[in-house]
Amino acid sequence: MHNLRSWNVENNTSKGLENLIMETISEKKSQYGMMIDLDRCNGCGACAVACAVENNVPPAYQQTNTRTGITWMRVFEIPNDEQFPQSDSVFVPMFCQQCENETPCVTVCPQNAVEIDPLTGIVGQIPQRCLGCRYCMAACPYHARYFNWRDPKWTDGMKLQLNPDVAPRMRGVVEKCNFCHGRLHTARQKAAANGSEKIDPNDYVPACVESCPNKAIIFGDLEDGSSEISQAIKSKNTFRFLSRLGTEPKVYFNSGRAWVREMAEQALTRTKKEEIYG
Amino acid sequence: MFPFVYEFHWTPGHIIFLGVFFSVFGMIIVTLINAMLRSRKDFRFKKAGAILWKTDFEDLPKFARACRHEFTGEAEHRVCDNGFNCGTCEAHQTFLAQQKAEINSDISQSDIFGFTMPPDRMYHRGHTWVKKMEHGAGSDTDDGTYIVGIDDFGNRLIGKPERVSLSEIGSRIEANTAGFIFEKAGAHLRILSPISGEVIEHGGNDKEWYLKVKADDSTNGMAHLLRGAEIRPWITREMERLQMSLATSKIGFTLADGGELLPDMNRHYPNVDWDAVWGEMFLEA
Amino acid sequence: MDNKLKTRPIVAREAGLMPRGVERTSFTNFLFWILPWTALLCFGVYAIYLCLADGLWHTNMDNRFAFGLWIFLDLTVIALGAGAFFTGFLLYILRRKELKAVINSAVVIGLICYSGAVSILMVDVGQPLRAWFTFWHPNTHSMLTEVTFCLTCYLTVLIIEYIPIVLKNRQLRQIPKFLVFEFELHKLMPVLAGIGTFLSFFHQGSLGGLFGVLRGRPFAFREELGIWPSTFFLFVLSAAAAGPSFVMLTTWLVQKISKKQLVKPEVMQFLGKVSGILLIFYIMLKSVDTLIWINSTSPSEGFPAFEFYARKSFGTWILLTEIIAFGLVPALMLLNKKLRARPVFLYGAGLLVCCGIMLNRFVMTIQTLALPTLPFDEFMSYIPSWEEAAAFLAVIAYGVVLYSFTFRYATLFPQERELQQIQRG
Repeated sequence: MHNLRSWNVENNTSKGLENLIMETISEKKSQYGMMIDLDRCNGCGACAVACAVENNVPPAYQQTNTRTGITWMRVFEIPNDEQFPQSDSVFVPMFCQQCENETPCVTVCPQNAVEIDPLTGIVGQIPQRCLGCRYCMAACPYHARYFNWRDPKWTDGMKLQLNPDVAPRMRGVVEKCNFCHGRLHTARQKAAANGSEKIDPNDYVPACVESCPNKAIIFGDLEDGSSEISQAIKSKNTFRFLSRLGTEPKVYFNSGRAWVREMAEQALTRTKKEEIYG
Repeated sequence: MFPFVYEFHWTPGHIIFLGVFFSVFGMIIVTLINAMLRSRKDFRFKKAGAILWKTDFEDLPKFARACRHEFTGEAEHRVCDNGFNCGTCEAHQTFLAQQKAEINSDISQSDIFGFTMPPDRMYHRGHTWVKKMEHGAGSDTDDGTYIVGIDDFGNRLIGKPERVSLSEIGSRIEANTAGFIFEKAGAHLRILSPISGEVIEHGGNDKEWYLKVKADDSTNGMAHLLRGAEIRPWITREMERLQMSLATSKIGFTLADGGELLPDMNRHYPNVDWDAVWGEMFLEA
Repeated sequence: MDNKLKTRPIVAREAGLMPRGVERTSFTNFLFWILPWTALLCFGVYAIYLCLADGLWHTNMDNRFAFGLWIFLDLTVIALGAGAFFTGFLLYILRRKELKAVINSAVVIGLICYSGAVSILMVDVGQPLRAWFTFWHPNTHSMLTEVTFCLTCYLTVLIIEYIPIVLKNRQLRQIPKFLVFEFELHKLMPVLAGIGTFLSFFHQGSLGGLFGVLRGRPFAFREELGIWPSTFFLFVLSAAAAGPSFVMLTTWLVQKISKKQLVKPEVMQFLGKVSGILLIFYIMLKSVDTLIWINSTSPSEGFPAFEFYARKSFGTWILLTEIIAFGLVPALMLLNKKLRARPVFLYGAGLLVCCGIMLNRFVMTIQTLALPTLPFDEFMSYIPSWEEAAAFLAVIAYGVVLYSFTFRYATLFPQERELQQIQRG
């Protein structure tokens, strides 16, 4: 749908059903972003589950492991490798960081199956156009892209729970977090039905944000200076992973703990575990 | 890709990139079509035979492509790159102009290393000869009729062929293209025609010639044929070539001991790769 | 005919297909040589069938190791297959006539390498039937688009260049249509060689650019020169250097296996010299590039370069081996006329050059992906599954089979007949 929108912006002359819907939507540019308060995250994994359910991620096969499974949202536990009582750990939910500048996956895709929507800033994947070459996966510094190594399969009971707003993906294509695009689409339809030019921020809340019991995730429009997220990222405790690569990710993290912020800035230094056993 | 494809952009990047791609792709296709059209043209102008000879000739080793003026010692070392078409060779004209008269003095001898190579005829490098048709007494008209046969060297090399296919009567043959085909011991050998013209009669069997040809009027039609003093050194060279060719075969026998070639050689040396030897000697790749 | 001769037919039916006057092993021997390779090919085709029909989970690739053995194979064979374009360039464009002796062989090697790479690439992608989408919705910013376009065109060129070799077969050339077409096509070879050179320049480069543009992989990322990262130019140069070496090495191997001299030693030495000259330039540029990367590119992205080599399996030795043992050493061996004249050094150096290109392509794919980027990421290793290995071997088996058939029934080395005569006579 990103494509439809951007296309319509450029070609206002063409008329169609999509056009009628789209024209009701504000062409005001948004920059959707997210911030995760790592100090609030207790690693429960509710976001990961909600994400998989919302986006029709198929259940894993028995042989699937952490390296071949599809986990749009994946929670890592990182210890500080200190002895008690200094020992501490942080949970980092990792998913597509929605890079804004020279988005690595967008520039490499040979057939425009990965595109960044100029109106929302969301990096979208078009599974129907994806060749499955996995070049985008090699390009992604966050390892946030997942390949369908097997045919997706749901049991009959699970099929009833599929989200009708999100198309399941076939074997052999790449997928990743898209800030719950099904929900964005629903919010747009609702806005259009109400004759509104702008979607209500309350109508567009990704599943992970909604599901977090500790309200650790804030989501909103970074362009809108009054939004909660625009205020939140101003904190001095805010950081982004690998921001030094210059790709301007739109997912922020926040922690009051200095070691967590330092860890995020670390380069390729070997972890303590590797130092000891490697 | 195309302006009508959904999401197409006219950006400079697209224009340059796709422009280059389509140009290259177009060039490949055009090259292929060009080759096909040229082939069609070759067939229309009946160049196929000449092309076959040209291809065969290019595949010949340098030693086999030695210039006739190297035989006579006029040139030190010269390799032909003109398909033995002396008629169109500038150097040949120069050599002819400089040729001394005495070079053709002693040419009466017809016995060369035991081969009967009468000097009354002209020889083609592919071991055929051309002789002007001798008409009976009283007829002094030169009607351009020639007889074409295979020379003694070739005869002894092949022996009696099991099957001979001659160009049809009334058909045209071109110099340096297949004049007739010998089949022997499983080998299929095309013998090059020494001249261009129209086939008017078949020989063979008890006759010494195979084709009677009404030659073209072209003045250069015979320029490429060897004659007179050239025959002896040419045969010397051919013996060397034969020796090299035989040496390639596993049995490794040589002609170093001298002596004459036995007629019907392949019957005496069945282990030789005769197909290769014949191909080599009759200038077929 | 009354005096029917009792001599057995010299030209058996099968031998009639071979070029005249060259020696080939008996058909039985040939079958014994071909059969194991065919079996290996069939085994690999079965593995490929599993991957295509059942899914890529048959491989050991995963979300982190999105590229594996196959991409390494593609990069390597395409680099080694560069001999086809570079020999063609030297022969048809720069008019180095002596290379006529190996051009046919180089074309066949190129065809094998490229068709093998494209076939395995079609297994490697998740949705091979969508390959044409790249032509329909091309992303002109992607190096892979450039690679796809050039590979398609160049494979077409190689097939067209292969046609005359087949048509010159002794039986096929009897058909005038084939021979005339061959003749006319051959006359246009310089055009095709020119196109091939142009295409090869771009896709060899783009294959290097493939990794050089990966901003998210500081190990592979390189500064841009013009619109291409420096790896673009390094890959072009290294492929051009390795191509002639590989042609030389395969020719040597065919000579050893067929127990015949096929090419004059001068031609081999010339190939070695060309390889050496290009290699020394490559090594110089590669060293400069590495120094710039260590001192500027990588630190500016916040990654001290030497930390990439802190892992046990991929220490600095890998960099030194690539540049010195597989680069400088063979280059000097090939540039020295006396050393080059000795087969041990000539072919030894050729082997080192080919190893060097393989190591370089290995480092670019496997090491790039093995190294973590996120601070809490781990170093990962990957071992190919048997299906991947079988498909890899199938490409090699396919190459051997195609080459063997072409060697047996077509003229790959025009000097062979002459050399055989010199040897015997």
